[in-house]
Amino acid sequence: MTRKRMAGAAYYAAAVLLAVIALVPFAWMVSTSFKSRGALMSIPIEWIPAEPTLDAYATVFERFPFLRTIGNSLFIAVCYTLLTLASASMAAFAFTKIRFKGSGVLLGVYLATMMIPTQVTMIPLFVVMNQIGLINHYSSVILPAIFRPFAVFMLVQQMRTIPPDYMDAARIDGASTFRIYRQVMLPLCAPALATLAITNFMDSWNDYLWPLLMLTDKAKMTLPIALSTLNGQYDTEYNVLMAGSLISMIPIILIYIFAQKYFKNGLMAGGVKG
Amino acid sequence: MKKHKKLFALTAGLLTIALAFSACGTPQSASGGSSAAGTSGSDTGDAPVTITYCNFNSSGGNEETLQKMYEDFHEEYPNITVEIETIGFDDYFTQMQTRVAGGTAPDCYELNIENFAAYANKGVLAEISGVDLSRIDETALNAFNVDGKQYGLPGNFSNVVLIYNKDLFDQAGVDYPTADWTQEDVQAAAEAIRALGDDIFGIYQPVTYNEFYKVAAQYGGSLLSEDGTAFTINSEANVKAAQMMVDRVLESNVQPTEVQMGGMGDWDLFMSGRLGMIPTGIWAFGTFAEGCDFAWDIAVEPGADQKATAFFSNACVINADSPNKEAAATWITWLCSSEEAAQLRIEAGWDLPAINDQAALAPYLEQTPPDNRQAVFDSLEYLVLPPTIEDYALMSDIIGQKLAAAAAGSMTVQQALDEAQSECEAQITLQ
Amino acid sequence: MSQPRKSRPGRLRQGGLRTALPFLAPSLAGMLVFSLLPLLISACISLTDWNGLDQLLAPGMFAEHFVGLGNFQAILSSKEFWQVLGNTCRYIVLYIPCMLAASLAVACLLSQPRRGVTAFRVIYYIPVLTSWVAASLIWKSVLSPQYGALNNLLAIFGIQGPGWLLDEAWAMPAIVLVSVWKDMGFFGLILLSGMIGIDKGYYEAASLDGAGPWARFWRITLPLMTPAIFYVLIVSLINAFQLFPQIMIMTDGGPNGATQVMVERIYKYGFRYYRMGYAAAFSWILFVIIMVCTFIQMKGQERWVNYDS
Repeated sequence: MTRKRMAGAAYYAAAVLLAVIALVPFAWMVSTSFKSRGALMSIPIEWIPAEPTLDAYATVFERFPFLRTIGNSLFIAVCYTLLTLASASMAAFAFTKIRFKGSGVLLGVYLATMMIPTQVTMIPLFVVMNQIGLINHYSSVILPAIFRPFAVFMLVQQMRTIPPDYMDAARIDGASTFRIYRQVMLPLCAPALATLAITNFMDSWNDYLWPLLMLTDKAKMTLPIALSTLNGQYDTEYNVLMAGSLISMIPIILIYIFAQKYFKNGLMAGGVKG
Repeated sequence: MKKHKKLFALTAGLLTIALAFSACGTPQSASGGSSAAGTSGSDTGDAPVTITYCNFNSSGGNEETLQKMYEDFHEEYPNITVEIETIGFDDYFTQMQTRVAGGTAPDCYELNIENFAAYANKGVLAEISGVDLSRIDETALNAFNVDGKQYGLPGNFSNVVLIYNKDLFDQAGVDYPTADWTQEDVQAAAEAIRALGDDIFGIYQPVTYNEFYKVAAQYGGSLLSEDGTAFTINSEANVKAAQMMVDRVLESNVQPTEVQMGGMGDWDLFMSGRLGMIPTGIWAFGTFAEGCDFAWDIAVEPGADQKATAFFSNACVINADSPNKEAAATWITWLCSSEEAAQLRIEAGWDLPAINDQAALAPYLEQTPPDNRQAVFDSLEYLVLPPTIEDYALMSDIIGQKLAAAAAGSMTVQQALDEAQSECEAQITLQ
Repeated sequence: MSQPRKSRPGRLRQGGLRTALPFLAPSLAGMLVFSLLPLLISACISLTDWNGLDQLLAPGMFAEHFVGLGNFQAILSSKEFWQVLGNTCRYIVLYIPCMLAASLAVACLLSQPRRGVTAFRVIYYIPVLTSWVAASLIWKSVLSPQYGALNNLLAIFGIQGPGWLLDEAWAMPAIVLVSVWKDMGFFGLILLSGMIGIDKGYYEAASLDGAGPWARFWRITLPLMTPAIFYVLIVSLINAFQLFPQIMIMTDGGPNGATQVMVERIYKYGFRYYRMGYAAAFSWILFVIIMVCTFIQMKGQERWVNYDS
């Protein structure tokens, strides 16, 4: 009994310490966002602003159309995520569960494409996008989701661990390949898919440079682009930037908390069946 | 299982929509994104033209002012529609470069002085002609003239003045700076203020490229030989100038080191009331007026053997491939020189319009603080231009990095400038 | 223990490529258009002295600017390249073990069925949800020697903190610290899904044999989650070679070049100094380095990664 209690105490000590490490910078961000500019460099430093002010938030709301940009970001991120999940899980299924010539080489090529530094394919990709005529369409930032080697690779790793018995059973029942993929593999990969969903959503939500290059129309502006316009040529207003970043994080944290429930179910399901 | 089915239907639907979007997009992009490309050649007439204008200067607070300017312009030229895009400074140039290389540059856009020379020398800008430039300030105009061709118009105009905290000067019992101060007077005042407390500093003039070329000029030095064919970074005058700057950090410590600054902004230090003097741009007036709870004023920057003050201006340029060059020229000329635009710019406290009409600038002098606004105009006599070479960014990065090393004490000033000289010579070919 | 992969039963035999193609089609198409084609173009660029401003598709571009392998020669013979490579390796050597330890800790803590574990799962993930731009800005101010949270916290315990990002010796460790903070939740969750996927039967069997929690972790959990660990190692190494946004915002390569890394140089050459050909060649060299490293990892995986459960 006492041993169990000690294990519990140790667990919470470790867990809380890690939580503090994760949150301190975040708390600092909250604190900074409520400071006036003069208070940014006060000595001694103010952990809690002595004279909290909403000036920074007022500035943020004043400077960009908030709802519109949130809507754009949300739409893009949702489409992007769904497209990634569908395309990557199909590819991973083919790589792990269907035997075809050259599958190893092809997977190697997928992997190799992850290693390309994006900064240098940026201009060529821009030119390609321009030739296809995608510039200034939402699809220019959504469509690249069909090829996400990171996602494919992660699902390949996951699907490899799924024991063959499930598939053999389904095959004996006479299920088509597509049905095996959809009704056997996808549910079994639920935990990995859930993780992928959130990371892809986040990648798209926080992506900055590519949407900036693609969506020049102001009405299509996403949140990070809007935030970047807070930055002037000569001067960085830390408090305003922190307030803006904080606001931009709230939706994604809410989504994450909401998705938690599904995660948990997914994780359980995967845990029990796998 | 039902859930998955729905997910699938949704995904498939979205995919179809996305593909449909892209299919629709093809013909439109052939016109370069501008719906009025078909009217090229006849844009002086009454045919309506739409042009795009990209800028960074209005980001961070002046977007509305720019929009108001455009509305006035559109009233005067109803056939020209300008689509304004405002992008944050940090990635503006990455985006502009990508669009220029990809063949989708806007009809006209803004460039800072650092990047202007590169664009102009590489032939992606159109020469601006056929418009009346007589209202534009000549010094500013010359900054964007390459080999006798005008490739850019100065959209705004800023210089640097010495801003000082009156309260700290009073406390230290030092006289306020005047127009004929030298760096030695500054040093004496800075030491008196530094003595007020451990966390109070006399001056902040960062040991960076931008400050260096100016202070070098004050000591009679320069980065390039007079004909512009050789680097003279480690000349005697330059070493003297850099030594003075570095000594303020490492010797007398009237200026905070990088670690004492803690990576925070110099404006924030000034606004916290712990900094005596800061030579900085006149664009700081608005922020300081709002954020300082102490008295402050300005003076012409101090000199050494002679006076020299930095000058900043952004160029409005026209894309060499634009089908609507004339409309673009009309818009940027109006933006840079019209009385209406000038007035809006001054009212918003944005910065100075680069015009030579003193009467139009008068309202600028009436705004306070600072009381001594006249110093802004007095400074114009001493402007130095940065050398406009094609590899400007590379040169400024090399010099900046070496200077920072000297200011951190990891090498001597002489070493730093010697290395900067040899690296610049090795990597940059001067025409 | 491990059967040769070919004779593993689970794969569908019928149809081969014809069965696989419909599943691969979307991502293959994406790869061609969004990855291989731009890559091919960048390979051509690396053989030129293109400045990155002239229109890429203008006729005669390639012939006019062709310099052969000149860029590659210039890079490999420059002192800068080796310095920058050294800095990048320094980052990797510090980052990978720290990140792996931190994310294993995260995964272990989250795998316990205890009260409040959901809350911890949210909290550990908050750094991941933050964009790199915002995270770098926060940390820049947290790490400020005098005005930042970290050194003021350390001061409470009587420790005088270093200059972090402003100190040549501490700048790279500071970058590592921030990267680990940002990534531990992400990789932790991936390790967690590998950990949870382990068949409970193994644990029951081990418990019956009398194995304690520690022994169960080393003998069952760790070996069975090697595919997840392998994935994390591959991905984090590739990411580590491409480290960039945190550098740009927090140090811009300073102080005195101590945090200049490969991609930072590539970006500066391409987009600040207008030497896109040089930058493209630089990135191809980086590409090859990453490929070689990953290839070695892939070859090595047969020794320690366990796919048969």
